[in-house]
Amino acid sequence: MTPLIAIERVAKRYLTSSGAVDALADVSLSVGDGEFCTIIGPSGCGKSTVLGMLGGLVQPDTGRVLIAGEAVTGPDPARVATVFQDPGLFPWRTALDNVAFGLELQGVPRERRRRIAGDLLGPLGLKDFAAKYPRELSGGMRQRVAIGRALAIDTRILLMDEPFGALDEQTRMLMGDWLLDIWRRTSKTVIFVTHSLHEALALSTRVVVMTARPGRVKTVLPLDLPYPRSMESVELVSLRAKLWHEIREESLRAMSEA
Amino acid sequence: MSVTVVAIRVLLFIGLLLVWEVGARLANPLLYVPPTAVVPAVRELLALRSYPDLPAHLGLTVREIALAYALAVGAGLGIGFLLAMNKTFGRAWGPILAALYAVPAVVWYPSLMLFFGLDAASKIAFGFLLGFFPIALAVLAGIRQVNPQLVTVATAFGARPAAIFVKVLLPAMLFTLVGGLRTGLALSVVGVIVGEILGSRAGLGSLINHAYGLFRTADYAALVLLTLVLVVASDAGASLLERRARRWTA
Repeated sequence: MTPLIAIERVAKRYLTSSGAVDALADVSLSVGDGEFCTIIGPSGCGKSTVLGMLGGLVQPDTGRVLIAGEAVTGPDPARVATVFQDPGLFPWRTALDNVAFGLELQGVPRERRRRIAGDLLGPLGLKDFAAKYPRELSGGMRQRVAIGRALAIDTRILLMDEPFGALDEQTRMLMGDWLLDIWRRTSKTVIFVTHSLHEALALSTRVVVMTARPGRVKTVLPLDLPYPRSMESVELVSLRAKLWHEIREESLRAMSEA
Repeated sequence: MSVTVVAIRVLLFIGLLLVWEVGARLANPLLYVPPTAVVPAVRELLALRSYPDLPAHLGLTVREIALAYALAVGAGLGIGFLLAMNKTFGRAWGPILAALYAVPAVVWYPSLMLFFGLDAASKIAFGFLLGFFPIALAVLAGIRQVNPQLVTVATAFGARPAAIFVKVLLPAMLFTLVGGLRTGLALSVVGVIVGEILGSRAGLGSLINHAYGLFRTADYAALVLLTLVLVVASDAGASLLERRARRWTA
């Protein structure tokens, strides 16, 4: 059976003003339907590039990116929705209209898209903020609006690029619990990029560790543990040590090269 | 607006009129035209006694402004977007545009009269020239200030170039754009009226020139007041447009 997502021997080089940078070198990865796959690795290891390719925003130089067996050639909002680290909310739209943005592009009639977006605001914890503009919302709320915008178009695949990266630790943990809840109820396939060991361990069915630049897949760590997970459990403490060992090596390499 | 602000404003206005009246009477009332002399002149003007053909002149000026501004908007938006969308083109032309804008535009006017003659065409050309630059430059500045992340997001959600333009670029730059459109209108008005004053046979500016030349200073002041009303009215129209535009993007 073909996996939902298949990344096959993908490489990417960026040309910058200071020369060529190899972002990815020979990355292969496949993700099954319904997985919560976390990609973790040092800064600049090309994690976001992988997401960009899945979202159709970046084309690989070599290799192929397949979704349900078909090569990705551009953004496909019927199958893939993305949450970015910078939420990128439209400042002239209310929270509700931001959530409805993708539906509007798809030509969903106004009444219907407002109802869909409105129904999402409740579970997003934004029920009373529908008419607020992004500048009136806290960082966590803004990120939830961005998540709502991605959920509204109801895609099979949800790409999340460090969605909680700019939030404080307490908010991050709460948002993680909340996301887990959403994922378990909708059974979407999530590809989640993060720097946080805690997030990787608490949320994922699988953690992919990437090497320092040029990014390759270093280790794939399956996490076949029930939710909600206690970070104090014996398995998680040892998994955490193992994961940290893998990442530490790469982070040190990234630091010495920087 | 609070009552105090309004009260202060009214007092200030009355004070100014008083100073003007007293000052003008103390100095030369013919040169400094006190308000008490302006009021009857305005009445004469509006009753079409001092200048019976005022409506025709006024109509001509308004038509010149409308045409000059329409051309300035069309060319300003068109060239502005062309320069903003094509990076190489924009980089090549942007500084030239800014440099031309910095030249006091009135230096071009003699050539415009040579090219277009003494009639309406040279006034329209001058109003166009003055109105064009702020509009084109506002488009350039407006597009440059659009947060690229918003374009990325829209692209990821499947927006095609037309949708990106309408749903992201236009609303993101609207503030700057409308500012430019408003400045452009004000300058088109200035261009047409200055053009008429510098040399014309018809229009509000030619009447101003006539009154001034014959030392009919009270009539001159009345005509200036009328010009003021015209300018304020056009700016009020522009601000109405601004509100429309904001509702349209919402």
